[in-house]
Amino acid sequence: MAMEERKYACYLCKGCGIGEVLNFADLAKVATREAKLGLVKEHDCMCSPEALEMIRQDVAEGVNCVLIAACSPRVKFEEFDFPGCIVERLGLRELVAWTQDPENKETQALAEDYLRMYGAKIKKTNLPEPYKFEEELSKTILVIGGGAAGLSAALFAARNNYPVVLVEKEAELGGYGAKLHRATPTSYPYTQMQESPVFAKIKEVQAEANIQVYTNTTVVKTAGQPGFLDVTLNTNGSEETIRAGAVVLAAGWKPYDAAKLADKFGYGASPDIITSLQMEEMAKQGKIVRPSDGKVPESVAFVLCAGQRDPEHLPYCSDICCASSLKQALYVRQANPNATAMVLYRDIRTPGQLELFYKEVQTDPGVMLTKADVTKVAPAPGGKLKVAAKDTLLGDNIELEADLVVLATGMVPATTDEPVLNLEYRQGPGLPDLELFTGFADSNFICFPYETRRTAIYAAGGVRQAMGMAMAMDDGVGAALKAIQAVEHIAVGMAVHPRAWDETFPDPIMQRCTSCKRCTEECPFGAIEEDEKGTPFYKIARCRRCGTCMGACPERIVNFADYSVDIVGSMLKSLEVPTEDDLEDDEEEVPLRILGLVCENDAYPALDAAALNKLKFSPMIRFLPLRCMGSFNLVWVSDAFSRGVDGMLLLGCKYGDDYQCHFAKGSELCNYRLSKLSETLDKLGLEADRVQQVQIAISEFDKLPKIIDDFVARVQEIGPNPFKGM
Amino acid sequence: MAGATQIKPDLQFIKRIVAAGGDTAKKCYQCDTCNVVCNLTPDEKPFPRKEMLMAQWGLKDVLKDPDIWLCHQCSDCTVHCPRGAKPGEILGVLRQMCIEKYAFPSILAKMVGDIKFLPVLIAFPVVLFLVWLYGLGLLGITKGLAIPEGPIVFSKLFPTVWGIDAIFVPAFFFAVGVLGLGVLQFWKDLNEANPWKVKLHGNLVGNLVAVLKDILMHNRFRECETTFGRALNHLLLVFGFIFLLLTTTWAFLREWVFHMDSPFSLLLPPDPLKWVALLGTGLLLFGIYRIYLARQENAEKAGYGTYFDWQLIYLIAAVGITGVLSWFFRLLGSATLAYPTYFVHLVMVFCLFFYAPYTKIAHLVYRTTAMLYARMADRGF
Repeated sequence: MAMEERKYACYLCKGCGIGEVLNFADLAKVATREAKLGLVKEHDCMCSPEALEMIRQDVAEGVNCVLIAACSPRVKFEEFDFPGCIVERLGLRELVAWTQDPENKETQALAEDYLRMYGAKIKKTNLPEPYKFEEELSKTILVIGGGAAGLSAALFAARNNYPVVLVEKEAELGGYGAKLHRATPTSYPYTQMQESPVFAKIKEVQAEANIQVYTNTTVVKTAGQPGFLDVTLNTNGSEETIRAGAVVLAAGWKPYDAAKLADKFGYGASPDIITSLQMEEMAKQGKIVRPSDGKVPESVAFVLCAGQRDPEHLPYCSDICCASSLKQALYVRQANPNATAMVLYRDIRTPGQLELFYKEVQTDPGVMLTKADVTKVAPAPGGKLKVAAKDTLLGDNIELEADLVVLATGMVPATTDEPVLNLEYRQGPGLPDLELFTGFADSNFICFPYETRRTAIYAAGGVRQAMGMAMAMDDGVGAALKAIQAVEHIAVGMAVHPRAWDETFPDPIMQRCTSCKRCTEECPFGAIEEDEKGTPFYKIARCRRCGTCMGACPERIVNFADYSVDIVGSMLKSLEVPTEDDLEDDEEEVPLRILGLVCENDAYPALDAAALNKLKFSPMIRFLPLRCMGSFNLVWVSDAFSRGVDGMLLLGCKYGDDYQCHFAKGSELCNYRLSKLSETLDKLGLEADRVQQVQIAISEFDKLPKIIDDFVARVQEIGPNPFKGM
Repeated sequence: MAGATQIKPDLQFIKRIVAAGGDTAKKCYQCDTCNVVCNLTPDEKPFPRKEMLMAQWGLKDVLKDPDIWLCHQCSDCTVHCPRGAKPGEILGVLRQMCIEKYAFPSILAKMVGDIKFLPVLIAFPVVLFLVWLYGLGLLGITKGLAIPEGPIVFSKLFPTVWGIDAIFVPAFFFAVGVLGLGVLQFWKDLNEANPWKVKLHGNLVGNLVAVLKDILMHNRFRECETTFGRALNHLLLVFGFIFLLLTTTWAFLREWVFHMDSPFSLLLPPDPLKWVALLGTGLLLFGIYRIYLARQENAEKAGYGTYFDWQLIYLIAAVGITGVLSWFFRLLGSATLAYPTYFVHLVMVFCLFFYAPYTKIAHLVYRTTAMLYARMADRGF
């Protein structure tokens, strides 16, 4: 919206305690004279139908830029929705009324500063115009992997009228689920073994018109961007390129190499020490026998957690092996009613409903279980095997003999050895940061599983996390839902998780670009590529709108319609910074002015939570929300300090291996940039401690008052900004 | 590995336990609730959890574990078990297996434990007595199998020496012999290498006296919560038996030492022997009746009990009831009712004595032995 067409109005709410804490006459003065918001109105309850009607009337009469100074922007967004208008929300309730001392005169100053800041913001914000792609977007979902998760994802998407291309590297669909003799139960009453559910799914997939199945096929290259993916497939040597919109990565797992268990579990020392996969193969052929002499075993020992939950092998648990071993114990017993099946476990884990299966298997007279830390498996005289264990329920050190020993080895994701996706991304062909998840295509977001750092690529099933078929099938549906959301959003120019409402997009001023490619390297999602000349360009459909590029760019060329370096800079520069000349007689110290740049993902909600709990903050600090700490641009430091601000506190999500940053790398990059900053600040005669970043989680809201107070104390210790008033 | 316990599961043992009513043993998942809830267990290496595990694994060494006898089947564990594994019942089955193990010959032990053989077991004394009585008739000592005429005197059918003593004294010594052999072997096994072996110390006799006192006072029973009623019920039964034992011994002494012949009078003059007999009978019947009722009441919570348990209850009840009825019918003067009832009574008493090493009543030696061992091993009392 051009400047000339803008008509501003500011609505001051007196409800929820705001009215008791502030002087509204003074607020109105600041709003009109300083913030230059033409129309200023107050109401006792701005979200009430009458007040909303009042605003709508004003809008009908020409107001198109509405500043609601009431509650947090995270609430009442349905009420304060005025189509076609620029709406800015200033949370006076949380930022002032609930967290400040009404007796302190700084409280009024705080509210007035906020009005100035948001007045500046509303001047420069624009309504977003969604990005329009030139070509027609594809809504085809590419599913890589035809196992339990992949089949499930394909069926779900297809039945919701999305075309699906299902790619499987083996000759047959079904993955490891089809190699089972019997499966652990996936339906009520969860007590009996059943036929593997993939077989029914394979039939359904083959009958489904919307699914095109490629077997003996791998993905050679995934080029393009979400909605416009050009995927090259290789089937037995011949290549073909298809168009897809989003990808479900369901490439599954392979078993851990048992040869690595030769030392501890004796694999290889005797043909009668086998893995659970080998046991399953025997069962499927209908003959469970000792590989050495072909005799039916009278006693079988199952060693659980073989090479798992072990720092020397796989550090994690593979979820399904306990139930799977119990199932195989039943195989042994059913094949030979005189056999004993001895299950040696570290723990028995039965995810989902499998506890019921465990209880059922336990009642078989020939199945026995004990907790045990198996120390050695070795051949014994008479062609038998000896298993030694310690810390067992049967005694501190035990030994038992068995005809056959089955090692329950772990699941290793397909992405450990090969990129599978073969993405055409400057940042690399695979998914980044796999080592954080021991090779699994996982994310740190428990609320958003299936997410990866490649937009519109969703991981499901055994490639994401070790899991059984019941969970893998659910995973496939979840990932398919995300893939559908991705194509639908991109089609209308809307971002996906975490800003799944955002219709802005990065619009760089390319004339000032120096091709330093800091944005290209730092984008957590690889949304920026470079052309033949080395000039960076956006693949907009990959972009999550976090603004990390905006923070990285030294030339400050990146802008979003409602979020830019200039917008935030203007907000910072609009503060009123008192100097010594403003001191009243009885005052000795100039009140500090501190800026708090707060990420919207965990830190701002923590602020709201603290306010909801009526915790008190220092009145010196003015909070300003950022999309992500990654969008923090260093120029704001000079903007703020040249204005006379005394300190800047950056509150963002946790970074590191166990990151909670909602854009994966933003918070970490901010921290990295700050380390470059301290030198510059020192040269200017400003102490590095004036700018600090603190990691905060939404659950740590109770720590906020102390964090703020500690920072304010530190700044007081350092002393006011020497450039104040210049 | 040095010092490693060898684990050798025996599937047949497990199947035996299941067949004898221990089908819930497999449900245990070793949560330890039973150990915590049990008021009778020592704190060191408590029971019944480890016994449940050994039962699940078919480790027959559990039969040499004295802890299965320290258990008095309070059933507190059964009530609290979250999996319905009924440890109280399982330990009861293990005790049955233990009795079976130490009783010679084992074939007879297995027959007693199996309901299929009940007709055979009862038939044995019935046939034996019928043949004996017939033989007595042939030899002219009695009138044989015919109902005797005239006033009802039971020794007309079953003469004291050639009828009662000739059968019951050998039966008694047989039972004592088998039980003795069993207990000696049990004691030997208890003192053998055992994962829970503890050094014994102290005076055997002195400790035995202390254990017997503890048993007579029913101190263990008083620790129970679920079946607290048994502290009284079992006490009544035990004292009933003691008084009846006293009666029998006294009568035996009168016959063989003091040469006093029956009948002895009840009222005029009152003969203390008769009164002790009546008291014993009353206590026995009252005790077994209360036990019967309490078991029915507790059945849902604590488990119904196995064939082995009920076999003894019905046997004791039968002994008591037929005894009282015989006396009753005699007083009534009905020969056709009195003599057959007395016949049945003697069959029941024979079963009680002769099968004693194999029925649940063998617990009176095995539990005493195990408690003696536990006391001398400082296991809690």
